[in-house]
Amino acid sequence: MAIQTQERRAAEEPQTPADPPTAPDEAVLAVERKRARRRQSSKNWSLFLLFAGPNILLILAFIYYPLISNMYYSTLDWRLGSPRATSVGLDNYIRFFTSPSGVEVWRVTGIFTAGAVIGSMVLGLLIALVLNKKLPGRTIARTAVFSPYVLSGVGIALVWNFIFDPARGALSHILGFFGIASPEWYLNEDWALLMVIIVYVWANLGYCAVVFLAGLQSIPQDLIEAATIDRAGPIRRFFSITLPLLTPTVFFLLVTNIIFSMTRAFDILRTMTPTGHGTNTIIFEIYLQSFGAYQRAGYSAAIAVVLFFTLFVITAVQLRFVERKVHYQ
Amino acid sequence: MKKLSTGRALRGTAVFSLAALALTACGPDTSGESAEAETNDTDWSSVESADSIIFATNHPGGSQDIENELIEEFTDETGIEVEVITSGANYEETSQWFQTGGGSNADVIVLSDATWFPSYLNDALAPVDELLEAAEVDTSRFVTALYDDYLYEDAHYGAPYARSTPLFYYNADQYEELGLEVPTTWEEVAENGRALVEAGLTDSGFSFPSADSYVSWTAANLAWAYGGAWSEDWDFSAIASDGTVEALEFAQDGVGDWATVSSTTPDDDFGAGVTSQAIASTGSLVGILSVADFEVGTAFLPGGPAAEGETPTGGAGLMIASASSPEKQLAAAMFIGHMTQPENTARFSQATGYVPVNQDSDMSDVYAETPQFETAVEQLSRSRSQDNARVFLPGGDLELSQTLQAILTGDGDVREQLEALQTQLEELYESELASELD
Repeated sequence: MAIQTQERRAAEEPQTPADPPTAPDEAVLAVERKRARRRQSSKNWSLFLLFAGPNILLILAFIYYPLISNMYYSTLDWRLGSPRATSVGLDNYIRFFTSPSGVEVWRVTGIFTAGAVIGSMVLGLLIALVLNKKLPGRTIARTAVFSPYVLSGVGIALVWNFIFDPARGALSHILGFFGIASPEWYLNEDWALLMVIIVYVWANLGYCAVVFLAGLQSIPQDLIEAATIDRAGPIRRFFSITLPLLTPTVFFLLVTNIIFSMTRAFDILRTMTPTGHGTNTIIFEIYLQSFGAYQRAGYSAAIAVVLFFTLFVITAVQLRFVERKVHYQ
Repeated sequence: MKKLSTGRALRGTAVFSLAALALTACGPDTSGESAEAETNDTDWSSVESADSIIFATNHPGGSQDIENELIEEFTDETGIEVEVITSGANYEETSQWFQTGGGSNADVIVLSDATWFPSYLNDALAPVDELLEAAEVDTSRFVTALYDDYLYEDAHYGAPYARSTPLFYYNADQYEELGLEVPTTWEEVAENGRALVEAGLTDSGFSFPSADSYVSWTAANLAWAYGGAWSEDWDFSAIASDGTVEALEFAQDGVGDWATVSSTTPDDDFGAGVTSQAIASTGSLVGILSVADFEVGTAFLPGGPAAEGETPTGGAGLMIASASSPEKQLAAAMFIGHMTQPENTARFSQATGYVPVNQDSDMSDVYAETPQFETAVEQLSRSRSQDNARVFLPGGDLELSQTLQAILTGDGDVREQLEALQTQLEELYESELASELD
């Protein structure tokens, strides 16, 4: 802006009659200006490449190249590791969207995502409300709540395998104490799905609780106090003040939890149910189709592309429509 | 709109072409020309073995220590260094590792009976007949049924290594308490199981495996006993035959009566005393003996109306990578020869519980220490190679296992489920294999 003003002033300044510009001078000046612009532009580009170049190269090599390669592989009928393949166009996509097994994957993914997101967020909020109180030992409690989030998914799954084992597990002993038989967690598809949702929610709870806690601590206390003076009860205060002011946090957690539950549950699913019997969410199905028994690398690549665009659309829709409803302070 | 200059258009086209070229260069060949299998016309007498090889193993049966011991001796004898790579926690992971980039430099690989065939289809395995001959390995002393598991189109693609068969385990203390006889048929297994449950000695008279625990492997014996099978060559009608239906109806009726389905593995359940009878791998023998606080009995697999107890072969073999140089391949063949020598095979069996793959192995020391092991070795005379539907058809094992679990844990019509499975297997064959085998 300042540069533009200077240029305008220079253009408006009257030229002295004693020193009239000549045509060759103007041409020389124009060339000089052009050269200066080029030098500046070249300098800017060099600096840009120096600082951003390595990162751009890494992103191109490890994100965009695999992404585009995967899109290419999704158009092939290709067995994992085979030196040969056949181009099949969009057949893999058509097969995924029309086969009964593809429909089953969507059903399982929908149930798992809904259970994982709602479970994590509701329980996370309840825990955050408790941890927001001035209770003795709350720092230790906060650490304990958050710690499962940083543990290895495989480790978590192995420990929960001991708990859920219907023959020797801790849960079967507890249920047995009350005269209840342990469900067949590993043999029944519905119980298996519930089992992995419980484990995922447990592992993810700390993340939601900590983010909610940060949101709760940013709510101005004077609003709560004013409502208390106006005789608003705790439930009224929660639904009329706390929850509306938490909507940015809820929105953030909703987006991240949906993405996480669709992409980061793999280790728990794979360890607890190795062949995906009733727990084959879309991310697990990618593995099962390619690296599991079927060895269908091309078909698996097509499912991976579908997952990519599903997450892309979910995020775009949430940003476009849900954010309008969010109350920012 | 700004007009695209010719230079920019050219640069854009060049970048796009390079990207497309890079994609196709790194991917598989899509030209549709079927590459003729390279004929192996190497004159092995003129090849000198390499001085180092890479051995990829998942250390089957907890064999890491004995493998290291044998490898050290091999290096001392031949001067050939062996770099060991742990290529996975199980056979599936090792196969996956070998088929993707990770295994591209391995010379010798441990692949299971159910996972080597895709690598063969991918031209990743070298035929070993001439190689083993050049390395002076006497293949005639391998247990024939175990060696022939790697025979396809007149060539062997591996040598037997960590081989196992299912074995019948029973709680000998409980048998003695009730005066039970060792069963020879499935009916007798059911009778014993019922007696054990009724006597209050156990809640599970017999434990069937789940889909995650190789049920399609061990249950093959049940299907064969009743005259059924998972397939006959590439004909999948056997899966819905009267024999298979009768066998699985027998098993389905037994669950909840004299049998249960294990949520973990039958060997875990048996070792922990949760079940009184189980069929598990011979490779589980050492583990079961180490945890069981009762006398463990072993017996041949039970038979049925149509057959004596036939036992499906299983476990893993040693394969040689086709991508390795002839020098490395020869060194790999020498390594296989060392690992399958009679004495080394006996030591490997003793350490792991796998059956000896060499007929000349002296197992007397092993039998003295672990008498139960003799049953496993004697049972080899009844071994039968597995059906194609499980070991050669990609996805066949999973489809089989999941249907078997559904039958065992539910009360659905067995014939209907098996007919649906037959259709699935036929579709799998058409989509995954037919064009390559024609």
